Amino acid sequence: MATAEVSNTKTLKVKRFKPSDDPKNTYLNHEKGVWAWMTTVDHKKIGLMYLGSVALFFLIGGVLALLLRTELLTPAKTFIEADTYNQFFTLHGAIMVFFVLVPSIPAALGNFVLPMQLGAKDVAFPRLNLASLYIYWIGAIFTFIALANNGLDTGWTFYTPYSTTSTSSVIWVTMGVFILGFSSILTGTNFITTVHKLRAPGISWGKLPLNIWALYATSIIQVLATPVLAITVLLLTMERTLGIGIFDPALGGDPVLFQHFFWFYSHPAVYIMIVPGFGIISEVITTFSKKHIFGYWAIALSSLAIAFIGFLVWGHHMFTSGQSAVATTVFSFLTFLVGIPTGIKILNWVATLYKGSIEMKTPMIYVFIFLFLFSIGGFTGIMLGALSADIHLHDTYYVVAHFHYVMMGGTLIALLSGLHYWWPKMTGKMYNEFQAKIGAALIFIGFNMTFLPQFIMGSQGMPRRYYNYIDQFTVFHQTSTIGSYILGVGFLLIAYYLFVSLFKGEKAGANPWGSRGLEWQATSPPDFHNFDHTPVIINGPYDYHKPMEEFQLGLADSHNGHDPSHEAVSAGKAVETN
Amino acid sequence: MANHSTSHPTHVQHHFVDSDQQFDTAKMGMWVFLVNEILFFGGLFCAYIVYRAWYPELFTEAALELNTFWGAVNTVVLIGSSLTVAMAIRSAQKDQIEGLKKNLLITIGLAVVFMVIKGFEYAHKFELGIFPGEYYTYEGLEHAQAAVFFSIYYMLTGVHALHVIIGIGLIYWIYRRASKGEFSSEYYTPVEITGLYWHLVDLIWIFLFPLLYLIE
Amino acid sequence: MSEHNHEHHVSSAGQLWAIGTALLFLTILTVVLAKFVAIPPPFDVVTAISIALVKAFLVAAFFMNLYWDVKFNAMLLLMAASFFILMVVITLLDTMYRNDVIPSF
Repeated sequence: MATAEVSNTKTLKVKRFKPSDDPKNTYLNHEKGVWAWMTTVDHKKIGLMYLGSVALFFLIGGVLALLLRTELLTPAKTFIEADTYNQFFTLHGAIMVFFVLVPSIPAALGNFVLPMQLGAKDVAFPRLNLASLYIYWIGAIFTFIALANNGLDTGWTFYTPYSTTSTSSVIWVTMGVFILGFSSILTGTNFITTVHKLRAPGISWGKLPLNIWALYATSIIQVLATPVLAITVLLLTMERTLGIGIFDPALGGDPVLFQHFFWFYSHPAVYIMIVPGFGIISEVITTFSKKHIFGYWAIALSSLAIAFIGFLVWGHHMFTSGQSAVATTVFSFLTFLVGIPTGIKILNWVATLYKGSIEMKTPMIYVFIFLFLFSIGGFTGIMLGALSADIHLHDTYYVVAHFHYVMMGGTLIALLSGLHYWWPKMTGKMYNEFQAKIGAALIFIGFNMTFLPQFIMGSQGMPRRYYNYIDQFTVFHQTSTIGSYILGVGFLLIAYYLFVSLFKGEKAGANPWGSRGLEWQATSPPDFHNFDHTPVIINGPYDYHKPMEEFQLGLADSHNGHDPSHEAVSAGKAVETN
Repeated sequence: MANHSTSHPTHVQHHFVDSDQQFDTAKMGMWVFLVNEILFFGGLFCAYIVYRAWYPELFTEAALELNTFWGAVNTVVLIGSSLTVAMAIRSAQKDQIEGLKKNLLITIGLAVVFMVIKGFEYAHKFELGIFPGEYYTYEGLEHAQAAVFFSIYYMLTGVHALHVIIGIGLIYWIYRRASKGEFSSEYYTPVEITGLYWHLVDLIWIFLFPLLYLIE
Repeated sequence: MSEHNHEHHVSSAGQLWAIGTALLFLTILTVVLAKFVAIPPPFDVVTAISIALVKAFLVAAFFMNLYWDVKFNAMLLLMAASFFILMVVITLLDTMYRNDVIPSF
């Protein structure tokens, strides 16, 4: 049979393929040199290049944050001008949202892990994958050209009418974002098609890892929402260059219409940021509890529910913008609804821990940090969804604290969890566990110290994006700033020991965590083709009560699509004969 | 029985098991991209709907400046090009490469006719001073928001025309590849997915036409 | 050598021309109805869009071959259309009801 599809009536001969703990030929030494990396279509290398890029932008965005916090040490000017301050918070937001959070988990970790979890050799369109990376870089270049010109001071949300009249380099950034959107769209297209068409034999929808469900839901959001951002920035650009007027009240236009278009993308965008994080949590929490996930279908379908309902709540960013009372009420109600599937996930994860054999390795520590921080973030989001409360809290530090708790305490912590979880798989090396735990502690302490005071400040009326403030907030701002420095130290430590592990790290075996996931049944680092056989799945990915051998099965007479007599890279195995 | 002990046909990429999987995957990928395009144009249609709901009388007045006859001709032209591109795919499926090339050329021809008519429409408007946005100088309409109507008109038809131009480029590229003998009934995936893109361009116009040209 | 899981559907030339002719006829119909038949608003827009929907269905089902394709691709199209409609309807909930007074003020 020439196909990889398994119907109920086909019999497949399978045998066990135990992954070597000491692979000689991996994707890292398969093709060498800068040119090989720049032209690769290997999803693993592309994922790593994304990871490096995201890390670089996170550094830049993080430095901007530290500069902002330093300015806020004193109520009046500390060391920068007000206009500079506006540019800094705008760029911090734009870089963190568009260049870090939106691509991070899907494009960096997802690209690496998704095909492996599906038992595929690559994503459906590997060349488009490489194109998405280049498009990401080009979008970044446009944005940095803006920096070199007049910068950007509109806030990352580019609200009209200021963005249509501001003298800063709005168009360079909007075009950069337009281009960047295609990167997101291509990744989403790739993932949807790969999940549908490139699954290994035996992987039914009910046996998909929850990470795949999460990436799938995310991809749907990316494909549906990003084009609306594209048309929004295009319209903004046209408004600036041609004076189109649909957002200009003097011409009968409506600035709130801009907000509708903008948030139609940007609210689902926050779900693009967090839902992949949910996928990682499911993977790590099961591996380190050695237990089946509680409520597989609840978690799987809640990802889709969040994706859907997430499209219906965008107006909760506009409660005080002059929206009609009808729309405001509807949006508030729908915002409460969207908390339900998320809450279901949190409860299911906690239930997974019950009677599990819990191992507090670094990825698991980040899971616990996630559960704590994201719950706070989520709850405060619901509180902001209450109309009467939002009138008071809108545009205050309460909102700033809320979204940092969900985006940083949620997505970024999940990213750190996933990074520490899959680091041995990607690099074949283990990092220093003790230093990693110190890093996690610093992140946790630093984060809460930075953002908890902001809730209090916000509810007492401290507005966001303000350069100066009144004396009653000084102690809160100063605590927050010190916390941000601790956070910075934590990230530097993480970068340090991860970098060192590449050279001095202990060799990781194929499966250092004892996971049942399919990606762990390949070598660390994996072969160029991921597996040297066609994997066959008979169990679900969280069936920890089944023996490991049952997760290492593959087609007995498959040559993975190669003619054995032409096989150039033998991956250290003798050619199989029937 | 060995899974794939014979090498793949050259057009099948390495990570696919067989030609069928590649074809189906490419088609699904193209449909996902079309979802994108629909939401992209959707934003523009949304702006149109919001404005028409606010200023219905503006739309009735301003629509008089649009030529229904030529808009209808363009609709027929695009529908014809959809037909010919479908015929092109059929030719490929039946190994009729000359038929494939002929149909592709006719499709391009019709698309060019569309652009020429569009060009005349725009030129006529420019003569009257109907430019987008702040360059609008036409005195012929009383309504204060007349410029906004035409801005929406130019955005909708302009973005659509851009997609037509891109489509012409893509179909021409497929024509060149067909001339080099790259396609057959075994492999015509690029023809299929280019066809899907072209049909979308037609689909958008099917909705653009009544919304812009048939307001009375 | 690859096996075909399913045969690719090949339409006959006659079928394609028939669809094309139907589309032409519907175009003429919609122009005639708009220009020569006085339909009170909003039903004039409703009629025009309904005819457009029929034309779109013909193109999608028989030119783009959705009728013979895997159901998922048709679902993608419907999903895109649904989200577009949601975007428009919910935005209109704001833009059409701006002047309504908030109850207790």
